[in-house]
Amino acid sequence: MTGATISNEDVLAKFPDVPVDYDNIFHYRGLLDRKLMFNRCDRCGHWIYPHRPLCPECWSEEVTPTEVSGKGKVYFFTVSHQGVPVPGETFPFGVIAVELVEQDGLRYLTTIRGCPINEIRCDMPVELDWVDRAGTPAPVFRPVKEATQKQARK
Amino acid sequence: MTARNPMKDKLAIVGIGATKYSRDAKRTPLDLGLEAARRAILDAGIDKREIDGIVGMEYGYLARNANFLALEEGLGVGEITWAMGGRLGATLLQAANAVFSGACEVALVVQSTFRDPRISSSAGRDAMRMRFAETHNGYMPPRWTRSADVSLRWAHTEEPYAAWAARYMHDYNVPRDVFGMVAVNNRTNAMLNDNAVMRTPITLDDYHNARMIREPLCILDCDLPVDAAEAIVLTTVERARSLKQKPVYIHAASLGLSGSGVERYENGRSWTETAPWVAMKAMWAKSDIKLPDVDIFYAYDGFTTLSVAFTEAAGYCKPGETYDLYKQSWDKAENRLKLNGRVVMMPSGGSLSQGRLGGFNYYTDAVAQLRGQAGKRQVKDAKVALAGIGSFYHDPVAMLLRVD
Repeated sequence: MTGATISNEDVLAKFPDVPVDYDNIFHYRGLLDRKLMFNRCDRCGHWIYPHRPLCPECWSEEVTPTEVSGKGKVYFFTVSHQGVPVPGETFPFGVIAVELVEQDGLRYLTTIRGCPINEIRCDMPVELDWVDRAGTPAPVFRPVKEATQKQARK
Repeated sequence: MTARNPMKDKLAIVGIGATKYSRDAKRTPLDLGLEAARRAILDAGIDKREIDGIVGMEYGYLARNANFLALEEGLGVGEITWAMGGRLGATLLQAANAVFSGACEVALVVQSTFRDPRISSSAGRDAMRMRFAETHNGYMPPRWTRSADVSLRWAHTEEPYAAWAARYMHDYNVPRDVFGMVAVNNRTNAMLNDNAVMRTPITLDDYHNARMIREPLCILDCDLPVDAAEAIVLTTVERARSLKQKPVYIHAASLGLSGSGVERYENGRSWTETAPWVAMKAMWAKSDIKLPDVDIFYAYDGFTTLSVAFTEAAGYCKPGETYDLYKQSWDKAENRLKLNGRVVMMPSGGSLSQGRLGGFNYYTDAVAQLRGQAGKRQVKDAKVALAGIGSFYHDPVAMLLRVD
């Protein structure tokens, strides 16, 4: 069960509590394939989020679901001590909005892994990883390790 | 920049009414709304059949909620020619537009709230509250907020206000105290308001020791869920002249929305492009009154993050400079803010300490202050009040109220 072979019915069944609709089902189909996808405008290259089939910049209706690189930095965050629980997380846990490298203001909300809650900082570099959450693959982000950063510079 | 403002000083608030604010009134929002409405109509001294416009709460059409259909029927007000559901401060401006346009002559605006389980965990243990919340639209979190998809988490929820506080501290290198000073100020003011729920004084030390909710915001940064309702009667200045109360005029007002990202709050625009700035900028462009003329300032305190945003958006200081402003403006003897040595901020105690009514209670306090009827908390010789109400993301309004 990968990629475009996953039927709408299967996506609905895998995300029973999510408002899956015609505008965003490509995103959830992507998650099942461990791909973090957003619509990208064919005409001007703008990344479109929240998920819409129309480019808000140039009004093009020609948009293509496209996988992002998974690189970004924490734009802002909170450490939640109470409130709505997240499967697989225990209070207190960090909720981070990752500004993806693809575009200023393109921010994806998730939890952080591999980082003590008192070490989360705005602007810290993070990268995409995947966990299993309530039976479906879910994107999380981890701090970019020093060694990885050094290697990347070489 | 100046902008067209044909309704400047053409509309007057002529009646205000409130219920008692409490944590557990054991009453429905409709019952509370009916009481506030009755008090406002009696305060205006008009016959109830003069009411021909109503704004009630937005949530659904089921009776027991203070929506406009239930209010109209419950008050027996007669023939209504304009009505809508709405909330927060925006409702008063919407009613003003309706009266100014001729859609109605005398508008009743009611906002009613109850300590609901979305925002109060203790409310979730009260069977009567839970039954009400479960059987009325909008009072329970949608099920997808508890789904495995964390990216849906910030659709009209609390965490982004904490995240903005973290980003603000990061960008401008200021401590949490900037938010704590709002909490202390509003609590000090609430001590003089007999209808405020929280009246025990607090200090910045108390703030730093308070229970953390969503870092960097603690319990004292969050508004206080209560059972309460407020109502306003609004009409033309012509009609107001023959009524018993001193008219309070709407001088200038504006809504403001900007890339709100309402579905995903993390995708909203930058700090100074958010709704408070849009609303304030548009309002000042319509106003003959300038900031130094303002005597009382109501900075929305649903979360203290927003009080700081509205302080900057109103023009009291540049972005990132609120901490300096508040330190310079702190009156040690009174344990509260006097902006620029003079202006009282949130004399009622606001959402943090009087109770959470979406900021609608700022209007009614402003009217009491401008009439000179605010009792112990009266700001001396107050002629002009400025209110900035709403979220970064929804229902923002900036409004200037004045008296002759």
